[in-house]
Amino acid sequence: MLLKPFTFHAPKTLQSALELYAALRDVRLQAGGTFLLNSLKLLKKKAAKTPQNILSLEHIKELKGISVEQNTVTIRSMTTMDEMHGSSLLTDYLSILKVSVKNIATQPVRNMATIGGNLTCRYTWTEMPAVMIALGAKMHFRGTDGSKEGITAEEFFHKEAKTGGIFTHVTIPRDRDVCAAYFRAKKSPFVDIPLLSLCVTTRFQHNKFSGTIVVVNNAVTFARRDRVLEDFLNQKGASKEVIEEAVSHLDDPIYDTRSSDYKKHMFRVGIKHALYDLIKTQK
Amino acid sequence: MIALNINQKLYEVDLKGHETLLEVLRHYLGLTGTKTACEEAECGACAVIIDGKAVLSCIILASNCEGKKITTIEGLADGDELHPIQKSFLDAGAVQCGFCIPGMIMSSKALLDKNSEPSREEMEYALDGNICRCGGYLKIFEAVRQAGKVLKVQGRSSKHEDAR
Repeated sequence: MLLKPFTFHAPKTLQSALELYAALRDVRLQAGGTFLLNSLKLLKKKAAKTPQNILSLEHIKELKGISVEQNTVTIRSMTTMDEMHGSSLLTDYLSILKVSVKNIATQPVRNMATIGGNLTCRYTWTEMPAVMIALGAKMHFRGTDGSKEGITAEEFFHKEAKTGGIFTHVTIPRDRDVCAAYFRAKKSPFVDIPLLSLCVTTRFQHNKFSGTIVVVNNAVTFARRDRVLEDFLNQKGASKEVIEEAVSHLDDPIYDTRSSDYKKHMFRVGIKHALYDLIKTQK
Repeated sequence: MIALNINQKLYEVDLKGHETLLEVLRHYLGLTGTKTACEEAECGACAVIIDGKAVLSCIILASNCEGKKITTIEGLADGDELHPIQKSFLDAGAVQCGFCIPGMIMSSKALLDKNSEPSREEMEYALDGNICRCGGYLKIFEAVRQAGKVLKVQGRSSKHEDAR
């Protein structure tokens, strides 16, 4: 067997999942399972301890799907990457979610992997944190005592917030004035490991950047906002000169990686790409 | 005891809960067409179709598949008559060592059931999780293209397969 024995639980409602989560000791939640099962296999190979209980969220219908209400898009935690890629609700600037999920792993994995698993596994090289922070997303958790907790994606990743509940959904504000751009570089055309990714959102007001958010993921540390660059861009005109100048106004420490010079250059290229893309999509 | 719907046949299997679908298919049910290779979701040799989508049986717990419709490579041929995708793989010479082919065919079927005329880009996207160590991708893409043409002429879709 590839996995060490555990007791498998597959509740059909969120309420029963919360009750089980509270009652069971030594339990791990399973979303799509693409990350968890491989981790458990590795632990078995290393003869390390594995959890006694696996609590699958697979059969909980209320944790699936995407919906739009007024000015908020809700993506429930068990929505797969492929469902996000195919969603007709992710339009306009939110289509960068589709662009970013398209880059994740491979098609069979995208058919299984969920947004909940992707965000909560807290791996530094995953695609979605930078995009979620740039879009101003809020992550919602339900505690085992029934309490509801909502924290911004930025708090969740940057401050490494701890939550004791089950991640139920992410909400993203829908603002028609926002423009968004996403850039990603991978190791090679054939080895799909991201080296870096970045996401920029802004509102152009009178041809000037406004309310700009720049989030960079150097694949070594968690995705972080570059507030130095944001401050430089805001209230500057959307021009080629500003973009060229922008790359000399970076918050250097957050670009610091183990291969810093080469990667910093890649970031400068990526930032220029993203800013030029933003100008092209200016509303 | 759980019930698994595999190739339109119901199997009752006594499981402990930690068995992957790949292990159940091969070791419990003798459906060895689904191949074991990397066992960590990298190669696609273990691809099967669940509810119309290609997925990797090495990273799915069999217990999670109860109530779902599972199709393996054994479920494609109609008796002695090969499925058009299987025929096309043979006709195009797309099978070299053959080890990756069951997974390739399952990913191709999931694609062609939705789109019988995929572009090269769409084929590359749909098959990006299937690795052929013989490097036979050109013939494989040609086989998928040919199979799509045949399926379109025959008007075959997943609905027709369900009715069989």
